[in-house]
Amino acid sequence: MLMPDPDQDVIDRRDAICAALKKIVPAACVIDSQESMRAYDADGRSAYRQLPLAVVLPETVEQIAAVMKWCKAEGVKVVPRGAGTSLSGGALPLADAVLLGLGKFSRILEVDYDNRCVVAQPGVTNLAITHAVQGDGFYYAPDPSSQIACSVGGNVAENSGGVHCLKYGLTTNNLLGIEMVTMDGEILRLGGKHLDAGDYDLMGVMTGSEGLLGVVSEVTLRILQKPATQRALLVGFEDTGSAGTAVGDVIAAGIIPAGMEMMDGLAINAAEDFANAGYPRGAAALIIVELDGPEAEVDALIGRVETIMRSAGASSIKISQSEEERNLFWAGRKSAFPAVGRISPDYLCMDGTIPRRRLPDMMVLMATLSQKYGLRVANVFHAGDGNLHPLILFDANQPGELARAEDFGADILRGCVEMGGVLTGEHGVGVEKRDLMSIQFTEDDMKQQQRLKCAFDANHLLNPGKVFPHLHRCAELGRLHVHKGKMPFPDLPRF
Amino acid sequence: MPKINNLDEAAAAVLDAQQQKHRLELRGLGTKSGIGNQPVYDACLDVSAMQGIVDYQPEELVLTVRAGTTLSAVEAALDKANQMLAFEPADLSALLKSKSTGTIGGVLATNLSGPRRLTAGAARDFLLGFDAVSGRGERFKSGGRVMKNVTGYDLSKLICGSYGTLAVIDEVTIKTLPRPETSLSLLFESDDMASAVALIAGIFASPHEPGAAAILPQPVAAAAGIDLAADFVVVIRLEGIALSVDDRAGHLRGMGGTGGTVETVPQALSETLWRRIRDVDLLADHAGDIWKLSCPPASAPQIIAAIEPHFDMAFYADWAGGLLWLAGPSGADFGNALRAALTLHGGGHAQLMCDRGNSKQLIPALQPLPPAQASLSRRVKAAFDPLGVLNFGRMHDGI
Repeated sequence: MLMPDPDQDVIDRRDAICAALKKIVPAACVIDSQESMRAYDADGRSAYRQLPLAVVLPETVEQIAAVMKWCKAEGVKVVPRGAGTSLSGGALPLADAVLLGLGKFSRILEVDYDNRCVVAQPGVTNLAITHAVQGDGFYYAPDPSSQIACSVGGNVAENSGGVHCLKYGLTTNNLLGIEMVTMDGEILRLGGKHLDAGDYDLMGVMTGSEGLLGVVSEVTLRILQKPATQRALLVGFEDTGSAGTAVGDVIAAGIIPAGMEMMDGLAINAAEDFANAGYPRGAAALIIVELDGPEAEVDALIGRVETIMRSAGASSIKISQSEEERNLFWAGRKSAFPAVGRISPDYLCMDGTIPRRRLPDMMVLMATLSQKYGLRVANVFHAGDGNLHPLILFDANQPGELARAEDFGADILRGCVEMGGVLTGEHGVGVEKRDLMSIQFTEDDMKQQQRLKCAFDANHLLNPGKVFPHLHRCAELGRLHVHKGKMPFPDLPRF
Repeated sequence: MPKINNLDEAAAAVLDAQQQKHRLELRGLGTKSGIGNQPVYDACLDVSAMQGIVDYQPEELVLTVRAGTTLSAVEAALDKANQMLAFEPADLSALLKSKSTGTIGGVLATNLSGPRRLTAGAARDFLLGFDAVSGRGERFKSGGRVMKNVTGYDLSKLICGSYGTLAVIDEVTIKTLPRPETSLSLLFESDDMASAVALIAGIFASPHEPGAAAILPQPVAAAAGIDLAADFVVVIRLEGIALSVDDRAGHLRGMGGTGGTVETVPQALSETLWRRIRDVDLLADHAGDIWKLSCPPASAPQIIAAIEPHFDMAFYADWAGGLLWLAGPSGADFGNALRAALTLHGGGHAQLMCDRGNSKQLIPALQPLPPAQASLSRRVKAAFDPLGVLNFGRMHDGI
């Protein structure tokens, strides 16, 4: 993966930069020794590693603003980092950039039941929000599988989802307000405890912007009352096509389950070996459908889903009769990644989305590609919303296998776009999918996105080298077609 | 008025405007042209011909439609498949004295959401992707036709509620949802705003899944045909399968607290009541201006207490208190007082929705932005429309 050429001038000024940063934040908040910085040299996409210029861990929003302002004035790049769990390299350091860690922003500032929200600093973990309110029957809905570790600020940067976003939405749908710091060092408060404002939805574009537009310094999150009951069905199928159809049938019947997950044969067996969850070995596909809500409703809908599954040709159906059993159904799914890790030295986790009805076509494509590249693939899907997580199995110690696995992954993502889907459903573009962006977007599409970037960060100092394959200078992006040698409105002020 | 049929023609029209140094006003059916500020323009561009449903896959919960399609045509198509726009867009035609409900593009451009916004999300939460021509005269697309997508910036959020100031949109892809099988409402009596908000907070702290919550002061309740004597009526809507709705209604009836009457409103009447709450026709007969306030739900009682003694006004609350619809005197004083009260009580946004006395010449229709947000918003506008060709000044000065 090629990153932009580091600025040697900045690297040469490293000592002076560290000294200046130590005047902006307490000296102990600047980490500049090689050994200590090693802890920050990668995020969840650990195939890519790079030591940063320096690590800064500010303690207040004013310090974040001062660091940003100073870096802008000095032409020093900044890479923001939450908990570092990104799977796409969004927080991968750059040799000539300061890594701005939000780890010290770890406090929940306010639990407000009257307005049904929590105000928290960005370094608080996703699960800690639910922990803070669950005693009173509330929870925070987005539940990415890394929720024990990932930070809510990172969730905003990546617009994180989870297994329940079919019914409850992604981060963007559960976020009421943010405080953010721009590359100019300006502190903005967007949204709040109210629902809608009549302004440009800058919070909406900040969400999922992968740390390219600003640094999130506070979040206000909507909390919901925990559903009275949750029950799940565990359904086996002898072919993946019927399983795919069954998923569509549930939605077509007007039922929006809290979660609807699918696994293929390889994933089923790996998960069963690992978790003993009672999964149907030998089935070609398995679906977990979870329904939540008032007890009477859940019981009725469980019956309807069971009927739909039987008509779609299910080979086995189990319905959870207790919380223990429901958790067991999930135990296999939730351990799918480590379980696959046991049957292969390494694996690549992909993340594309397709229109749900194309699932059977995608399974055929993956089987073909698996043969072509000589690598196995295990599949776990958020089937309800068409979000695929193919796990490509390989051995990094075999020369060329990583590259082959990456090519395999790129072909899957190409297939996603060709089938009407997108490159990434929830992991983000980051570094991983940066060079594939042109499959989904034209040059003009990407230029328009980068113009938005220029409005926030005119010198491309914030997290450069991520998301976009080509960096265009903002002056070049802002240029208009010139008609007959004259700019229209030559006297208009340009912002 | 030049009428465009597709984005190629839109691009040509925008480039032409640039060349002639013209600013354009984008017009669908013009039903919402009174919302926002008066834009500066030399010519209108009629976008209402870009009509039709492009693709609708009910089992994918996804609808692709051209932005000039009427809201009623969209809703009729969804209705056939037993689905809906879950954000429940309002029909403000009675309030705004317009001929129809307008286009889906207009709904998205104004991010107009109804009572279910509280629990299901706003228009902006349902726009998955779009095709457009920017104020630069260039075609671009963003988002996609699938529900889960984090590829590139989420420009759908920005386009929603941008009042046509950034781009001319054509095809939009919207997430749809199944229509609930049944619904009903419960009416609770309440002595004042504070206890009404507290009652709602209690109901939302229960697992009985309220879907919408409004607070109607007695005169407004009476106008809605509600025959209860209390000073305030809390209206709670429950939706879902019949078994569940009845079960939850049973639980919630016990939560009336002070022993006041709890009435049950059956489905047909409940639907009419919520349509009237959604469409603001409960205030349509009031002579003054209509304002819309988005505030922290628990702040609603303080905001009303700060305003009510000083003005001849009427109001009611939706979104559990988080949306206040107010009718008050024309001019700047009422709006200024609302914005001052908001600032004191948790922040939010006060917007003049229906100007019946040239108030807009005295006070901006949209709440002025803090300086840093204003300059960033101007740079965002410039990123899409550097010459200010599209709906210039519709939202804010220069935006």
